[in-house]
Amino acid sequence: MTSDSASSRKALSKIACNRLQKELVEWQVNPPAGFNHKATDNLKRWVIEVNGAPGTLYAGEMYQLQVDFPEHYPMEAPQVIFVPPAPLHPHIYSNGHICLDILYDSWSPAMTVSSVCISILSMLSSSTAKQRPADNDRYVKNCKNGRSPKETRWWFHDDKV
Amino acid sequence: MSPTLGAAKQAEQLRQDGNTYFKKDRLGAAIDAYTEAITLCPNVPVYWTNRALCHRKRNEWTRVEEDCRRAIQLDHHSVKAHYMLGLALLQKKEYGEGVKELEKALDLGRGANPQGYMVEEIWQELAKAKYLEWEHESTKRSWELQTLKESCEVALKEKQNRDAPETEGFVDETTMSSLDQFEVLNRVFNKAAEDDTPTEVPDYMCCKITLDIFRDPVITPSGVTYERAVILDHLQKVGKFDPITRETLFPSQLVPNLAIKEAVRAYLEVHGWAYRMD
Repeated sequence: MTSDSASSRKALSKIACNRLQKELVEWQVNPPAGFNHKATDNLKRWVIEVNGAPGTLYAGEMYQLQVDFPEHYPMEAPQVIFVPPAPLHPHIYSNGHICLDILYDSWSPAMTVSSVCISILSMLSSSTAKQRPADNDRYVKNCKNGRSPKETRWWFHDDKV
Repeated sequence: MSPTLGAAKQAEQLRQDGNTYFKKDRLGAAIDAYTEAITLCPNVPVYWTNRALCHRKRNEWTRVEEDCRRAIQLDHHSVKAHYMLGLALLQKKEYGEGVKELEKALDLGRGANPQGYMVEEIWQELAKAKYLEWEHESTKRSWELQTLKESCEVALKEKQNRDAPETEGFVDETTMSSLDQFEVLNRVFNKAAEDDTPTEVPDYMCCKITLDIFRDPVITPSGVTYERAVILDHLQKVGKFDPITRETLFPSQLVPNLAIKEAVRAYLEVHGWAYRMD
């Protein structure tokens, strides 16, 4: 059993519920530029449209992020992946997993969906080459049976891109 | 007269029996056991609060009140006694006194175990009581304002009708047009209703983790303020760092932020709707 399926069966804690409701209200009043939250009645999974920023390699392109919240959010990071087809990027695998430290080891409960989205867009925007990570095939094969990226032992290549 | 060692032992056994009955929801049997324990050793506050808890489950609030008052006589610091006494008083519609007891329980509970379920539960009850109180008072206030506003509008209209023939032909630029007067009147009444109109709580009174209004704010050496229970949880589960500045942080470095606590208190005093919990 993967931790993904294990965590998705558990309901959100009261703290998590409260906080997500507040984040949603804030998002509706003040959405981060370039993002569009697709309304559902599921507080536990958000689907967010990302528009590549003008003047970058991804200008005019549109992708979808899927954000799943664990029971003890925000004490635990949300699971954030691109719904394939994922953007071609040196830190984004073809199965949608994103190599970004704040989603794993460097998560802090003071971060929000909105701030995570902004980090992901800035990661896209600063890219200089549309290519997959060097270890893409090996990594994606290892994730075959629906493994969550939160189980991966990431080593973060660099902070620049 | 102090009870013999034998009596104390027997009473303790009765308490445990009572607890077992309570867990099985056999409230009558539990009450009997605690009552016997009290007869043997009337000076043990826990016997009184445990019996009070049974009465509470049966909605027998006068008895809850009696038992809690006895427990408080024996132990001024009993969180449970103050808490249940508060609930009993609220049931009797003694708002002020009930809220005071809940606040006392909250302070005592935070001192003992800031992350405990009791603190959360007490807060929920306190917030609920405060919210209901606000709802009640604000309905009254808004009714008063509405009535007064209507009278003012009628009076203003009458005055304008009376003055109209005199000013005819002499358009004075400095006097307000009759329409403007109504607008200003409207503005005055809107302003008067502002405090009672639910809106967003200012960010500086909200924890960056819960995004909710502060209850028990503590400040870190970096100068950031968080909700105590939540920052402690973070330090236990996520890591020993300040969630915003990422500087190293240990639980012992947290200091109550009394200024913010007072500010929140003052804010809630005026904006009772902010007690809304959902």
